[in-house]
Amino acid sequence: MIAYLTKRLGLSVAVVFLVVLMLFSLLQLIPGDPATVALGPRATPEAVARYAEKMHLNAPVWQQFLIYAGNAATGDLGIDVFSERAVTTIILERIGFTLALIFAAMGWAMLLGIPLGCLAAVKPNTWVDRITGVLSVGTIAVPSFLVSIWAILIFAVNLRWLPAIGAGEPGDTADQLTHLILPAFAVGLSWVGYLARMVRASMLEVMGETYIRSARAFGLTQRRIVFGYALRVAILPTITLIGMGFGGLISAAVFAEIIFARPGLGKLIFDSVMARNFPIVQGGVLVATSLYLVVVLFSDLLIAWIDPRVRDSL
Amino acid sequence: MSVIPSEVIIVKAPDIRESAARERREKLSAFLRNWQGVVGLVLVVLFFVSAIFAPWIAPYEPNTMDIPARLSPPVWDHIAGTDQLGRDTFSRLLYGGRVALKIAVIGVSVSLAIGLLLGMIAGLGPRWLDNLLLLLFDAVRAFPTIILALATVALTGPSMEMVLAIVIITSIPQYARVTRTATMSLRNTEFIQAERSLGASTIRILWHHILPNVIGPLLILAAMDVPVVVSVEAGLSFLGLGVLPPTASWGTILNEGYLVIRDAPWMVVAAGIPLILTTLGFTFLGEALRDIFDPRMGRGR
Amino acid sequence: MDPVLEVRDLSVEFRTARGRIKALRNVSFSVQPGRIVGIVGESGSGKSTVLWSILDLLAGNAIVTGGQIRFEDRDMLTRSTQEMLALRGEDVSVVFQDPMTSQIPVLTYARQMRDILYRRRGLGKARKREMSVEMLDKVGIPDPDMRVDQYPHNFSGGMRQRAGIAMAMLTGPRLLLADEPTTALDVTMEAQIIHLLREMQRETEATVVVVSHNLGLIAELCDEVVVMYAGEVVEAGDVRDIFHHAQHPYTRALLECDPARIEEKSHRLPVIPGDIPDLVQPPQGCIFAARCQRVMPRCLTEAPPLVEDGQGGYARCHLLAGPGHDVNWPPPPEVLTVARGAPATTGAKAVSSEPLLEIADLNVQFNTMGPVWAKVRGVKQPWVTAVVDASIKVHAGETVGLVGESGSGKTTLARAALNLVGSQGGSVRFEGQDIRGMAEAAFKPFRRDMVMMFQDPVGSLSPRKSVRALITEPMKIHGIRNVDPDHEAERLADMVRLPKALLSRYPHELSGGQARRVGAARALALNPKLVIADEPTAGLDVSVQGEILNLMAELQAEHGLGYLIITHNLPVVRHISDRLAIMYLGRIVEEGPADEVFAAPLHPYTETLVRGVPQPDPDRRRTHVVVKGEVPSLLNRPRGCDFVSRCPHARALCHQVVPPHVTAGHRRTHACHFPLGAASIPEKEGSSR
Repeated sequence: MIAYLTKRLGLSVAVVFLVVLMLFSLLQLIPGDPATVALGPRATPEAVARYAEKMHLNAPVWQQFLIYAGNAATGDLGIDVFSERAVTTIILERIGFTLALIFAAMGWAMLLGIPLGCLAAVKPNTWVDRITGVLSVGTIAVPSFLVSIWAILIFAVNLRWLPAIGAGEPGDTADQLTHLILPAFAVGLSWVGYLARMVRASMLEVMGETYIRSARAFGLTQRRIVFGYALRVAILPTITLIGMGFGGLISAAVFAEIIFARPGLGKLIFDSVMARNFPIVQGGVLVATSLYLVVVLFSDLLIAWIDPRVRDSL
Repeated sequence: MSVIPSEVIIVKAPDIRESAARERREKLSAFLRNWQGVVGLVLVVLFFVSAIFAPWIAPYEPNTMDIPARLSPPVWDHIAGTDQLGRDTFSRLLYGGRVALKIAVIGVSVSLAIGLLLGMIAGLGPRWLDNLLLLLFDAVRAFPTIILALATVALTGPSMEMVLAIVIITSIPQYARVTRTATMSLRNTEFIQAERSLGASTIRILWHHILPNVIGPLLILAAMDVPVVVSVEAGLSFLGLGVLPPTASWGTILNEGYLVIRDAPWMVVAAGIPLILTTLGFTFLGEALRDIFDPRMGRGR
Repeated sequence: MDPVLEVRDLSVEFRTARGRIKALRNVSFSVQPGRIVGIVGESGSGKSTVLWSILDLLAGNAIVTGGQIRFEDRDMLTRSTQEMLALRGEDVSVVFQDPMTSQIPVLTYARQMRDILYRRRGLGKARKREMSVEMLDKVGIPDPDMRVDQYPHNFSGGMRQRAGIAMAMLTGPRLLLADEPTTALDVTMEAQIIHLLREMQRETEATVVVVSHNLGLIAELCDEVVVMYAGEVVEAGDVRDIFHHAQHPYTRALLECDPARIEEKSHRLPVIPGDIPDLVQPPQGCIFAARCQRVMPRCLTEAPPLVEDGQGGYARCHLLAGPGHDVNWPPPPEVLTVARGAPATTGAKAVSSEPLLEIADLNVQFNTMGPVWAKVRGVKQPWVTAVVDASIKVHAGETVGLVGESGSGKTTLARAALNLVGSQGGSVRFEGQDIRGMAEAAFKPFRRDMVMMFQDPVGSLSPRKSVRALITEPMKIHGIRNVDPDHEAERLADMVRLPKALLSRYPHELSGGQARRVGAARALALNPKLVIADEPTAGLDVSVQGEILNLMAELQAEHGLGYLIITHNLPVVRHISDRLAIMYLGRIVEEGPADEVFAAPLHPYTETLVRGVPQPDPDRRRTHVVVKGEVPSLLNRPRGCDFVSRCPHARALCHQVVPPHVTAGHRRTHACHFPLGAASIPEKEGSSR
């Protein structure tokens, strides 16, 4: 177990290291002086010089990389060019909005998608199954940013039921929650279909297993077989899928944040890209990818926790 | 009592096992009975035809401005209305389909080819190479697509080539992983062992015995990947990180429509429809193909 | 006495794309209380369908089109779902075929067994656990109080099947069904499970129905037998009557084909030619007519009469009554009723003095972890040794049988000989040349001379290639261009007696026997000198096994091939092998001329294998199990002799010292400190290590 954890953590660190390396090489690939590129053509020579000094731009590239990687490892992601605040602080201020959105979206998608998938699998080829099938393919096919736009059009512009822009007044939980509804709906919608299909497929497969037939032969009730036996096995691939699909979830969240002007990590990165504020882009991307890796690791551990075969093979 | 020699006895035993041709016919009829598959196929054909023949179908030039007719609601002359510059949205959507088609065809085929190659190398090659490639795939996948796009566009500026590159890079790992898994499970099967025992070379095994067994699932995956690729392009263009105006793309049209969402809501509606139809078409088609060719995932037993 | 279970005129159909398969037609039999009834038949006989019908757990596309299944005087088929739920697992319980797949992997045995007891509301959780522990103890699981909290994957195969029996017996069912209860197990384990089932039955006085294709198991376990063929009961009766005075030609043929019944050494085995009929349109008349040696015109048109023996047994055959009645049928047991063909030219087999293949002291190791990881964790030996100091010789024209249970390393040994897995020590010589560890490019020419036939007949054929492409592939691989591939395909198809119409088929469209022939054609395409055949009869019905083995014998006689036949099935190879080598835990423990090894085993393990096979004769039931336990894992090889943990004759020395290979008399070798019947055999020290 410990060995497995070390191995997995080591692997994640290696991936993060690779990510940093890629980001760093991207910066090096741009023609021209990095400081000028970073600050834009209108920056004063003094600002450029100051920036170069702060970013160790005068050192050899590999040293710059090591300095950055070393700092990143201790949680220091550099200084924002314009406000001169620590990038880490800025990201920490914003990441809460993103996490709230992602959890809300995933939460409602799971609450709806997993039972729907079970239902469809238990009654295959009935109207419940068919409707679930069409609905889930339908929701998968609509890109989340289109859902966002159309949701704004319907609920904010036409019906005026819900606010479209921002994350709500700080401190006002009710207001923040109403601001969360539309983005969470937009981000989670395709996951409802995704999860329903996935759960249905793996449930169908598990329901055909020999041990389900033995459970029936021992007279266990349908309810116990479905929820106590089949779902316990069928949920495993779904967990993996959620972990792996988390990248897509982050992408959807970024779109939603931009469209709904929600001040989360995605919006931060987007605005910084537009403002060519590289330290924040770099830091933001690093945090986003680390978030993904943490979720994947967590999902693997969850599987090991549920499945004794995996647990014992670690 | 006489014993009849066995040759004389003709017991009508119709052939139990179907021929390959019959099986193909059955697959075809299974496909035709699957309404999702048929709808999907129709939508996919529509997508190809409308994009390829856009110059002949479109009633207007996509970039011809007609200021007096700006922000027209859908009317007979402009069935999808016009934008802020008076350009015909329907014509622009048809031309936008060309961008989507290009991205879909090039993006999916190139990433499929590279993914297939890398996946087979990882699956059949030495352990260290496999681990290295896996690490690479993981690193690429750790970048959510949009984040990677933001990071690169921040540096290089938006362009169609950039979108293609991003699409290809982010799609490769999934093809490679599927190929790798399939190759690995195949390489320990008895039939691959049997080929090896007969002296078949690695190239021969890959080409004649692994590829035919891997390509089917990959093509289904590709059909399911087209919606993703098309959405990525539209999404990036919508954010101004992809195809640049004035080139018509579904994303740029959505962007222009989003700016006038209160005055001309029909524009974001119209721009979304072809996007949805295309993604729906490919998803339906992919699902139907999977139902037919991969009975494990199919509807019941 | 009233029967516990009575099946009357049961008919079941399966809806498929090709039409309705009439899987069961008018099946009737009854089971008296406290009896063990065996349903025996080959694949496609519908024996499992009967079992699942009793539980009302047939697949979704099955329809019961008629009949009754009366359990304790009520028809199962008319019971409500609720009533069936109350019945299953309480009054009627099941032991499943494969304990690897029939127990849910993510729940502990405590939980699984508690779930079975869910109807006993009055019992507390602790009491249910207690009952589970008691039952595990009763079926012979050591340390049950700890084991009950483990998961199926923590149990070995044999223990799992014991736990499966414990689960079935937990509620004290009145009717126990067993579906091929030993098919997934090794020979030595099979004997233990049969023994356990019989003991449990005696203790609980439950009524038992066993479904199996294994005649030995049926003879050893059952009181009565129901013989099924292609969805019909052809004969039923007392176990002794069935095995000693079979009335139906199919029963007779089935018994004659069982290699365990054949006493003398023979290179030709009896077979039942043909395939089972298509059950979408079952033939009129007798279902077995197409394959019957005694078929008469009326057999094709008229359903055979049911002839009772007056003691509850019956058979359906025109030979027994009516106009086709033959007073001389059935002939005495010594007379063979099925075809065997002319004996092959066994005498002419030229066994040359130079061995074709000579393996000496071969060792094969498998890494259990990466070298870096091993160093980190301080593991000195990050590998297991799958083959230890194995030596074996195969001459041209000779058949050597390599026998061992699963995990014995026999397949690994073969693959190492063919350079398909790496080996770590010793030598492999082919016609005198050392080929061990040769680079693939240099080895390629040898692949023309030494070929392998793989275990899974269909699975060893590339699924997307036609039979034609498959059997001509060896020529393409070795760059032989001066032949006409179509002509070659037909020549090879002829050689292995494969109908030419099958050349355009794909592997999944072939039956096991046909696929096996394709495999043989591929192996023989380039006129090899040595054929290594891995379980050549695996997955084949008894009546087809003989066809394949006979074909192999004919080809050997024609081409002077050397055979190394790998199998777990001692009775099968016993008849066709010149020499036998017995393998246990990676070591060859005994080697010598087949009939001698079989008649007088030197190594106790060989003896357990010879005695371990249940005899298809109810009068020769074993009263006790020769060997206990299971093959240990390679990870914890016992100290001293590998077999010491299970050997009934083990002494102190066996726990300390690995026995050397000793050559004893008539070219016989063994690795035992205290060989059986040692006094009569002069010993001399051989190559030892």
